[in-house]
Amino acid sequence: MKRKTAIILRYVILVLGAIIMLMPFLWMLSTSLKTQPETVKIPPIWIPKHLMFSNYVNALKEAPFLRYFINSVFVTTVTTAGQLLTSILAAFAFSRLNFYGKNILFVIFLGTMMVPGEMLIIPNFVTLSQLHLVNTYGALIIPWLASFFTVFTLRQTFQSVPDQIYYAAKIDGASDWHYLWHVLVPISKSTITAVTVLQVIGSWNAFMWPLIVTNTENLRTLPVGLQAFTSDAGTNYALLMAASTFVIIPMVILYVFLQKYIIAGISKTGLKG
Amino acid sequence: MEVTFKDVSLSYDGSREILHRLNFTIPEGTLVSILGPSGCGKSTTLMMISGLLAPTSGHIFFGDEDVTKQDALQRKVGMVFQNYALYPHLKVLDNIMFPLKMAKVPKAERREKAIKLAKLVHVDDQLDKKPGSLSGGQQQRVAIARALAKEPSLLLLDEPLSNLDARLRIEMRQEIRRIQQETGVTTIFVTHDQDEALHISDHIMVLNSGKIQQFSSAETLYDNPSNLFIAQFIGEPVINTIDIEDFDDELTDHVDAEILKRAKKVGIRPEALQDHDTGADTLATITTKVKTFEKFGREKNALLDFHGKRLLTTEIEAELAEGQELPLYLQKSGFYLFDQEGTRIFGGDQDVE
Repeated sequence: MKRKTAIILRYVILVLGAIIMLMPFLWMLSTSLKTQPETVKIPPIWIPKHLMFSNYVNALKEAPFLRYFINSVFVTTVTTAGQLLTSILAAFAFSRLNFYGKNILFVIFLGTMMVPGEMLIIPNFVTLSQLHLVNTYGALIIPWLASFFTVFTLRQTFQSVPDQIYYAAKIDGASDWHYLWHVLVPISKSTITAVTVLQVIGSWNAFMWPLIVTNTENLRTLPVGLQAFTSDAGTNYALLMAASTFVIIPMVILYVFLQKYIIAGISKTGLKG
Repeated sequence: MEVTFKDVSLSYDGSREILHRLNFTIPEGTLVSILGPSGCGKSTTLMMISGLLAPTSGHIFFGDEDVTKQDALQRKVGMVFQNYALYPHLKVLDNIMFPLKMAKVPKAERREKAIKLAKLVHVDDQLDKKPGSLSGGQQQRVAIARALAKEPSLLLLDEPLSNLDARLRIEMRQEIRRIQQETGVTTIFVTHDQDEALHISDHIMVLNSGKIQQFSSAETLYDNPSNLFIAQFIGEPVINTIDIEDFDDELTDHVDAEILKRAKKVGIRPEALQDHDTGADTLATITTKVKTFEKFGREKNALLDFHGKRLLTTEIEAELAEGQELPLYLQKSGFYLFDQEGTRIFGGDQDVE
């Protein structure tokens, strides 16, 4: 009896948590189907009188979303691939190679994780402008080609692989390079998937940085493009939410398919993998 | 491949030596065990043979060739680790083929060779499984097949059986012996378990605190221990060790006076204490008092008091009562004297005719 109560209580808490997490998304869907006056009505309404599916068509007409979409896909792909490559190499160096100053270097990099991202906006912008990269794809991509968070996460995983596997590979005739790509990376598949998905989501949702370093329509990414619905006269919430729904769909699909890896990769530290 | 160490020393920090001037030769085609307590440097010695670790000084030869500066790959050794170290993401077949792939052996040939090896170690019905779904013994077999895949000059085994349960351990050590004899590959086997070493090897090298204590056959180790450490390390139950001062004059007429003067410790194997006169084999007699007497099955053990020291014997014929006096006949084989440094100065082949 006591156990049953505990189970019920557990599910009640979980359901409440889930509802709170889902609320903004449900509100987004609801608003995207409202008429303009309904969006600002007080008290708020959850279910519009007429479902305005036309909002979705109108939203896409409002701005060149196809172009934004291509930009987002391009920037996300290149950023993620590049970051993964640099991080895997750095994590291997930090976990397996011995070189002068390795530990000091690691601590310094670790320190950079404590610096809030907002503080880096101005120095990064100044650097890019002096390199004449402002308002190019380079500005959207280059600053994000290295991430110490990814390096750190991968290093922890690489270090958990027993030394003997490395020695066995050496004896079997594998070079460090071969060991890294044919043994270590496949073994660390779940962590690599997790950091990849996190990076894809982060890159896809990036707003502040693309907004600052680009000023032409051709270079806008989806989150920046959503600005189109905000003007001096106010915000068209219905269209904005309709467009937002489009923007998050790819990430939702990605998460649904890979959630097993994401959860495993993140919770690995301290738990039995 | 014959392996020779010439004055090989190793020290990690330059001051504290892990291994001191090792000199030995492992003959081609034999199975040699490196035996010793934990921390004696036996795995380190194996790492140096493999080329994963370089000696601080000295030279290592494979046959006539000086391989001191060569790495593991150039030395062409195969190695099996305690935790198997199989590649978890590869199937059994791919694990065995991995060294061949690295050596750029054509695909068809790789496969054929790997299957042949899998048959040799009896895992040919597991080829499509991942190592994680195999039992410990099967994983160990795969690791051996992988180590043999590139036809190694040497097969090195680092405590390969210590992760297995007792019954499997006995089965696997026989398997290792069989595989070694079938392939004829020179094999070096590191273990801390004397039973394993005694059963499997042609020769045993006993290491303690970075020095070779003795390198000989199992029989010689037992019958002619070169020092007190070997005498105490090899043999089950452990040899009785008492001080020479514990004897009054029981040895006086039986051992050379000069040797008695140099002697410090006395080692008596439990089977060298007989409760009946064996004639020519008897060296001396002593009188003891029975403390405990145990009988199970064919075994009769007695714990005895001799001038306040404890002696164990496994060779009792009569029924004993606790507290009774018991004269014992010290046998020549199994009785040793050791000097101050622990070196054997009496007993064994050289001194007893």
